[in-house]
Amino acid sequence: MSKNARLSLIIVAVVAVVIAGFVLFSRNNNTTAAPQSGGGKVSVVEYLDLECPSCRAAFPGVLKLKSEYGERVTFDVRHFPIPSHRNAELAAVAVEAAGAQGKRDEMFKLMFERQQEWGGQQTSQRSAFVTFAQQLGLDTAAFETALGDSALKERVLAQRTEGGKAGVTGTPTFFINGTKFTGAPTYEALKSAIDKALS
Amino acid sequence: MNRIVAWVLAVGGFVGLAASSVLTIEKIALLKNPFYVPTCSINPVLSCGSVMKTAQAEVFGFPNPLLGIAGFAVVTTLGVLLVAGVSLPNWVWIGLQVGVTFGVLFVHWLIYQSLYEIGALCPYCVVVWAVTIPIFWYTTLRNIRPAFQYHSVVLILWYLVIAGGVLQAFWFYWSSLV
Repeated sequence: MSKNARLSLIIVAVVAVVIAGFVLFSRNNNTTAAPQSGGGKVSVVEYLDLECPSCRAAFPGVLKLKSEYGERVTFDVRHFPIPSHRNAELAAVAVEAAGAQGKRDEMFKLMFERQQEWGGQQTSQRSAFVTFAQQLGLDTAAFETALGDSALKERVLAQRTEGGKAGVTGTPTFFINGTKFTGAPTYEALKSAIDKALS
Repeated sequence: MNRIVAWVLAVGGFVGLAASSVLTIEKIALLKNPFYVPTCSINPVLSCGSVMKTAQAEVFGFPNPLLGIAGFAVVTTLGVLLVAGVSLPNWVWIGLQVGVTFGVLFVHWLIYQSLYEIGALCPYCVVVWAVTIPIFWYTTLRNIRPAFQYHSVVLILWYLVIAGGVLQAFWFYWSSLV
């Protein structure tokens, strides 16, 4: 065998061993940390990405369910910014920054309503988010400081990590009393799943 | 070296031609159905549809795979001639060198865009990357240093660097698999 062929085979073999070793050793830590229900009530947890069109599509239905069930069901929205969405992470931080001034829900709504203007872009949409903050009447200086706050970013990324551990691989993903909801997240489908959990 | 170059051009050119054709067909399907809603997944392959909608997918004002169809057709033809034992004049080799150099630079720009700007992988694009590199490498070796011994070692290391980039860029997805 030529020197070239031998060295090529050695490199391929080493890489194969390293990959196999890595896969074997990183197994068995699949502890599912699915969000559990709290105190007899039904809990709905949604992992979403603000830049995802199907999350925007699901949003009005979720709002409607929230108003219809009121106290009987707790709705918890968590961030799962998908890395290929350039501005999803900053958008999530922006929602939390608005939350610090008491307008988290309003910012969620505005982000989805205007998604087609800022979503799918490959440049930073920071200035668009600051404009949203102005429209909501937030303290813009404080909002901009919060956008750069590493603690808020950590919170967003921690939610994503937690979602990943619970088995989220795409958005939107719903958990009803800790059980992953499968199927298209339409208003009707979610409603019947919640009704089932309530009864 | 001459035998290797002949086969790399013939086989690589044909595979590249096939991948470019599939990409062109998909692009036409996408143009016919612009309301296609992409799934939002951390799987970089599932967001493939989004790659074709980007500005980088038509740098020169028309879909990139059209360049691939033209270029790979020439590469395949020359490869087949070489396999058949035809010897090509020097100026054809110079022309081929210019073409494959442009191709390999363009492909690396696309790799960078795919990994770090678009954040998605499209399988047929990866096939094009995978054949363009050896086509460039073996054409260049034949033209410059036909006696170079460790030709496939360099090719493997080249692939490993790109695989490392893919691993790093989509680490969040890969780590969810294991």
